[in-house]
Amino acid sequence: MQSVLVVDDELDVREAIERVLTRAGYSVRTTADAADALAELRRCRADVVITDIIMPKINGVEGIECIRKEFPSVRIIAISGGGNFGVSAYQPHAITTSAYLAAAERAGAHLVLTKPFESMDLLHSLEQVLGVGHA
Amino acid sequence: MARLRTSFANFVAVCVVALHLVLLPALYYGLGYVVRKSHEDLFIEHARTFARVLADEFELGVALESESRTEDLLDLAIVHGDGRYAELTDGARSVRSKLGSPNIKAPRHTDLTFGEGDDDIYFVVLPIVHAGRNAELRLGFDEQPTLERIHLALNRMLVALAVYFGVAMVIAVILSHRLSRPIHRLQDVSRSIASGDYAQALQIATGIRELHELAADLDNMRRELVGVNDRLQAKIREKEISEIQREELQKQLRHRQRLETVGTLAGGIAHEFNNVLVPIILFTEMALQDLPGSSVSRSDLERVLTAAQRAKDVVKKILTFSRELGDVKLALIDLRTVIADGLHLFAALAPPSVEIRTEIDDAIPPVRADATLAVHLVINLCTNAYQAMQGTQGILTIGLRNHGNPPVTGESGAFVEFWVSDTGHGMDPATAERIFEPFFTTRSVGVGTGLGLSVVHGIVESFGAKIVVETEPGKGSTFRIYFPAVLQQDRPLEPIAPVA
Repeated sequence: MQSVLVVDDELDVREAIERVLTRAGYSVRTTADAADALAELRRCRADVVITDIIMPKINGVEGIECIRKEFPSVRIIAISGGGNFGVSAYQPHAITTSAYLAAAERAGAHLVLTKPFESMDLLHSLEQVLGVGHA
Repeated sequence: MARLRTSFANFVAVCVVALHLVLLPALYYGLGYVVRKSHEDLFIEHARTFARVLADEFELGVALESESRTEDLLDLAIVHGDGRYAELTDGARSVRSKLGSPNIKAPRHTDLTFGEGDDDIYFVVLPIVHAGRNAELRLGFDEQPTLERIHLALNRMLVALAVYFGVAMVIAVILSHRLSRPIHRLQDVSRSIASGDYAQALQIATGIRELHELAADLDNMRRELVGVNDRLQAKIREKEISEIQREELQKQLRHRQRLETVGTLAGGIAHEFNNVLVPIILFTEMALQDLPGSSVSRSDLERVLTAAQRAKDVVKKILTFSRELGDVKLALIDLRTVIADGLHLFAALAPPSVEIRTEIDDAIPPVRADATLAVHLVINLCTNAYQAMQGTQGILTIGLRNHGNPPVTGESGAFVEFWVSDTGHGMDPATAERIFEPFFTTRSVGVGTGLGLSVVHGIVESFGAKIVVETEPGKGSTFRIYFPAVLQQDRPLEPIAPVA
């Protein structure tokens, strides 16, 4: 059974993803921030990490960099509902959702997914990164 | 009391009349006296001479020898000497001409003056001595013809003086008109100038040197006024244009601020909604999977999913909308103008406790940026600086200079360094590191949104420029922005855009 670590500061989001993936047959663990995720991975590795980007303490992009550095074989899916925090009017490609996801990709995420998504999108993405990983 | 004013022509006419009212009577009476006196003297001279000649005749004894001869001589005096009375007497007997006026009383002595007595007769009494006998020749000459001549002469003189007065008045009117014509012309032109028409040249044809020079001086003054007026008009037009540009700039800034507010709101909504929608969609999908096909709740849950999908689309549209509004329009701009405009707008916000200084070099090449955003940049940095000095006396310095090789850019080439420095509270290194992050603020809740410096950072990045902060707790902060300079050879055809 392939294991997935879900990292999101929103409890409802974590639990929803956990439930969908568990039903699909994955072994799922969850943490509320990137620091806990690193600790969890050190404790027990996972095949895939699904991580939010905008989070307190260490943000998702930094978290991805750390994971990629420490666990290069772990596949990563970045998810974000970002939004443009006003400053997009002046920096259109830096703060928007797509910019966050682009930053995540640059940091090493294998796939990015925009919130909100449906179960099929999530499962398809997961299969995609695992397929890529197994190929 | 109001002073009585009259026209120049009337003034000259009144002066001439007044002068003649004094002069003409004096002349009349003066000349009249001379005329009268001349006639009288002539008359007296004539009368006395005539009397003397006659007396000589009697003294020679020509007449006294016979009474008839005496009477003839006395008649001669009446007929040829304008006489009215002629008598020769020796006390015992008297011979009197019968041609004279019979009622005239015999005179006792010679009249001293012409017109003495009221008889219109001038008497001459001459003693005669002939052959030891004393006698008196008494003659009375008629003064009336002389009086008539005097009267006639005075009348002629009066007519001559009246004619002279008339001619003098005509000459005075003509002269006053000749004098007042250039004055009226000067008056007309000065009125035109006063009413704002400076175009009319002041040229007058006059032989009077003072008036000619006055006209030339006034025309010089008019030309000066034309110059001053043109300069003033140009300044007014410049000010009007500048005011329009300022209003347009303020309008654009207000528009940007509205966009910023909309963007902030949209970003916040998007983030929250998207996170809320994830569990709604995923849990609803799982619930649908769990429900049997016949369950009445299926359609309800499907409707939840449809509604969630709509919510997702709405959020997406809001984000797209706010992004599309925020296009950055890069053009060549002069940062000196940007700073001037930014300071102009910021001046209204700055408290009097903050002293604003500028250190701006002259030869600053243009840079590529969005003019409105650049002004926004200046205002944001100035606002940040004055907030850092709030409640204290402080100095805000704005600088602009050329910089060959700024360390932060990692590139060599021509850069324009723009900096804003304050004498405020400064920051520690940890704060300085995060100062450009969105929502990061060191201020208490309600003071600042925490977006000011992230907006600054966003603007700077969108211009392809770099920003650094130098700061130390208690010693203030300096924000330095390095714009790549656009030199002459890089922009042969590109004009420098106006700020507004």
